[in-house]
This record gives sequence, C-alpha cells and structure tokens, in this order.
Amino acid sequence: MKLSDRALEYRFWQDAVYEKDWKNALDFLIESLRDELVFDNLAIYIIDENGKRSEIAYARAIGREKNAEADASWGEEIADKVMLKNEIVFDSPSEEESSSKRVANPYLAGMPLMASGKLIGILSLIRFGGPVYTQEDISVALLAAVVIAYIFEKRALQESIIALEKVQRQMRLQDDFVSTISHELRTPLGFIKGYSTTLLRDDTEWDEETRREFLTIIDEEADHLTGLIENILESARLQSQTFDMNFQPLRLDVLVRDIITRVHARYENFEIVFTNYSEKIIQGDNTRLAQVFENLFSNTVKYAPKSKIEISIKNEDGNLLKVSFSDSGAGISEEHLPFIFDRFYRVPDQPKKAGTGLGLFISKRIIEAHHGKIWAESDAKKGTRFIILLPTEQNN
Amino acid sequence: MAKRILVVDDEVRYQRLLDANLRTDGYEVVAASNGLEAIEIFSSQPIDLILLDIMMPELDGFKTCERIREYSNVPIIMLTAKGDEKDRVRGLDLGADDYLTKPFSATELLARVRAVLRRAQVSSEITQVRYFTHGDIRVDFARAEVWRDGANEPIPFSATEYRLFLQFVHNAGKILSAEELLTAIWGPDYRDEKEILWVSIARLRQKLEVEPHAPTHIITRAGLGYIMPSDDEN
Repeated sequence: MKLSDRALEYRFWQDAVYEKDWKNALDFLIESLRDELVFDNLAIYIIDENGKRSEIAYARAIGREKNAEADASWGEEIADKVMLKNEIVFDSPSEEESSSKRVANPYLAGMPLMASGKLIGILSLIRFGGPVYTQEDISVALLAAVVIAYIFEKRALQESIIALEKVQRQMRLQDDFVSTISHELRTPLGFIKGYSTTLLRDDTEWDEETRREFLTIIDEEADHLTGLIENILESARLQSQTFDMNFQPLRLDVLVRDIITRVHARYENFEIVFTNYSEKIIQGDNTRLAQVFENLFSNTVKYAPKSKIEISIKNEDGNLLKVSFSDSGAGISEEHLPFIFDRFYRVPDQPKKAGTGLGLFISKRIIEAHHGKIWAESDAKKGTRFIILLPTEQNN
Repeated sequence: MAKRILVVDDEVRYQRLLDANLRTDGYEVVAASNGLEAIEIFSSQPIDLILLDIMMPELDGFKTCERIREYSNVPIIMLTAKGDEKDRVRGLDLGADDYLTKPFSATELLARVRAVLRRAQVSSEITQVRYFTHGDIRVDFARAEVWRDGANEPIPFSATEYRLFLQFVHNAGKILSAEELLTAIWGPDYRDEKEILWVSIARLRQKLEVEPHAPTHIITRAGLGYIMPSDDEN
C-alpha cells in the first residue's frame, strides 16, 4: 500500500534534516524512495561552481541487472539534457528495443535539483525494461529531488563553514601572534627597564647583595630577549625559505648526548634517561638538529617541570632512525594536539608561560628539511611523546 | 602609620621590583599572584592602594577590579601594556583610578603611587562593605555569591542573573523600569524585549524567594517596573 502524501513527505524529510553526514542522509532517503518507486540505478550529478560541468556525486545500483555494473546506463546523457533544458526529461526506448536488450536500452528520467534559485544538479533514475514512468512516479521522484537538493545544499554549506573556519583560524593565529609577540618582548624589556631604573634611583642606596640580584635579573632578561628575537627571525627565514642547511654526516646519538650535557649544566636536577640502540650515520645539519632537541627540552622545562625525560634512538624499517622523546607531564589535550606544530599556535589558557608559538613550527621545518617527520602523541596520564623519524645514509 | 599597598602580579620578578621600590618609600607591601588571592587578602586586612596587573591566571585584572568596585572605593592602579589603549580605557571604565604602562621606570611608579594616594586622601575615606543583606538573603561581593540564611551553598545564579540581581541591590528602594534593566544587562538593542526580562525575573524569583508567587525581594510595581524594597519598607 502506498503511503499518504504527508507520511511520505515526513519519511523523506526526517533523515535529511536529522543526519549530519550527507551520505547517510542520502542512503536513508534512497531506501525510502525505493519502497515507493521502482528503479534499478540511481545517479546524482552535481554541477560545478561555474555551472558548466556536472560531476557524479552519488550512485547506487539497487535493482535488476546489478551485475551489469559499469556497462549499464547511469543516465549521463539525460543529465546533460536536463542541464540544457533545466526541466524534467524522459527517455524511453521503443517496445522492440526494450524487450531485446534491457540493459542497453533503459527507461530514463532526469530531474533538475534546484536550490538557492539555481540548478545545482540532476537526479537520474534508470529502469531496465520499464515500466514507463507514471504521473504518480514522477510526483514521488520530484519530492525526492527537492529533498536531495536540500541535502546537497546543506553539504555545500557545511563545506564552506569548514573552509571559512580554516581561514579564520589562520587569521586568529596571526592576530594572536602580534599580541603574544608584543607581550613576550615587553616582559623582559619591562624587567630590564624596571630594575635598571631602580638601580639608577638617586634617592636610595642599595646594598651590594641587592645590586647583584637586580643586575643578574637584568642580565638574564637581556639573554631571554635575545633568544626571543633569534626565534622570531629564524621563523621568518624558515617561512620565506631563505635558510641554508649545512648537511654533513653525523651520529645522532652523539649530538643528543652533547645536548643532554648542556641541559644538565643549566638544570642540575633534571632527570634524563637516554637509551641508544643505533650508531647509524645520518646526513644532517648539526646546529639545526641541536636546535630541535633544545626546543623539546625547553618545552619540557616550561610545560612539564619536574618531569622525567626519556629519550631513545632506534633503527626503524626503511633506513630510518626513530627518536622518541617523552615526558611524564600533564600531557596536551586532544583538541590542541593537532595544531601544536602550526606557526604561532599556543595551547590557550596558559597566560605568561613564556613562548611565541614558534618553537615546534621551527622544529618541524628543520626535520622536514632533513626529509624526516615529527609528530606528537599525548595522554593525560602518561605525558607527551614526540617522535622523530630521520632517514639514515643508505650504506651503513 | 605606613600605607599598605597590595601588589597583584603573577610574575615573581614584578612582585620583587614593586616590593623593593615601594618599601624604600616607606610603604608596607603585600603581594598576591592572582585576582582571587588578591580579593582574599583585600577582605582580610586594611589596604590603602592596589597595584593590579591585567593578564593573570584564575581571575584577571579586569574582573578583579570590577568585583572589588562592587563594594569598595579603594584606589586601584592598573598595570597595562604600552600601546594598548583599549586595555587602559577598559580599566578606567571599570573604576580603576590610574594606570601604569609596562615597561615603567621606578621613579614613575613611585610618582603615580604618591599622586593616587594624595587624591584618595582629599576625596574621601575608603569605604568597604563586603556584605549586603536583604531579609533572609546575603550578598558576598568579594566572592560574587548570594546566600540564603541557613543554606549550605550559595544560590546557583548564572552570570546574567547575578548581574541582574546586583542592579536591584545597588538600587535598593528605587523603582527600576523594564527599559533601564534591559539596557543595563542586555544592552540598548534589547530595551523593548520585555519578555526576556519577564522570564529572567521569574527565574530569579524561583531561586531567590521562598515563595516565588509572593516575592519579598523583587516586587513588581505594575506599570512602573520592579523594586527591591529598602529594609524599612519590608
């Protein structure tokens, strides 16, 4: 028994509105449509932005002749006719053709999909061996066409939202960068200005110990400022691709050991466990690679203080070295993890943790210049793990 | 007696800088590293002046200033970043007395502190009323909480409900028209959205009144608006 018009409309619309994924929405709709209307193949063509060409967006072989697959008609011809005429088009074979070669001579119906005042696509229905489309078939198919147009319009909106969000995020990062960078530069500058003018006050005498304390702060903050400026320039160079790499054969384990010694000199109580399983040689820029590891160490000092660091270097299939660098800090939450290598990105809500959002961006660029890869895995319970893959020299 | 200054900054090096300079000029200094800590300290001892940084964890400088201004006229100097006119204007709008832009010199800091303290002395006594009571209801401005007598926890107001309620508290005994309330809480675009106010007042009463249909705290004056009757009317 056929459903009443209202009930049919409800069934067609409910999933289209409810489902978030357009393919699911279509699958449900086509299933409902199949109960109301006989067809074997169904294809939906979507017209590109210039309105000139149509592309297949969705196709289902449901009925008879499923096995004919690619040989069977998918209604491309009729889609082109609908595009030209902007109206419903039927194409039926003669009695004789129909009975002789069912697959080669299908009954076709093409329905325009209209949305936002224009033709956005075509719905093609294909029947192998009839029957001819009745008036009722057509009204059901037209209703389906309206719902399909809605589903694709929704898809188009969803896609433009995603595209806009991406642009917006980039713009926000730029904006944040300007305010972050000015804050970052101003903080050490504020200390230098504040403590030097304190020492210059002519209405007060400071004792020797206090003078040394203040001068030490000025000295450290000047170093901090230098480091920040270096970082900003470095990132500008990396961004404009005007940096030179000085490749030479080197042992990564030697380089890492060297840096650990330096880190220990600065932070005595830092517990670092280094395990090396490979003595392979890589082609690398010593200074740049050192920069990557120094950056990872300084991140740990900043974001996971007191955490133990475990580093290992192993051989990996395909002439690769795999470096694992893990801390046992608070981890990086899932929502921020995908963006930490983006330029200027900083995990929000950590006011005054010094940083420019450039460190990991610079590191990634350096590793990529070595034809390697760097990524991070994180778990609130276990901490954060950075993994670096670098190609080794072929013959060792 | 030495004036006591509360220094609020989450950077230890700024705390030290302010502390060292202020002490040489004979001030007592108390330090806090965020807004919440500052409000706690401010509630527990007499303070003559607050030096308040803006970017801080927990409660930032703007919110801290706003909350302190609900119940106290203690002089406040905001520490703002140079070139950030928006921050300066916002601070002054929220009731700060002056601002000091980072980086600043030690002598400028001391001059500003002297000037603000001088002005405060001329103008009036520091008044500070942390609590307000109305019948069985008590407002704790420092914590931004409203309590009913004998309750174990504060009334769970949303931010908007609390702001709406404060309009009545600060204007107790005065009739407030619907337009005034809508403009104050939701902005001028909402001045005619009476239904929004009706719903909000009803929800406020649900939480505030023992019997929402016979309210004692927020009373409707037909055709005029709403009033929180002053205590003698109660």
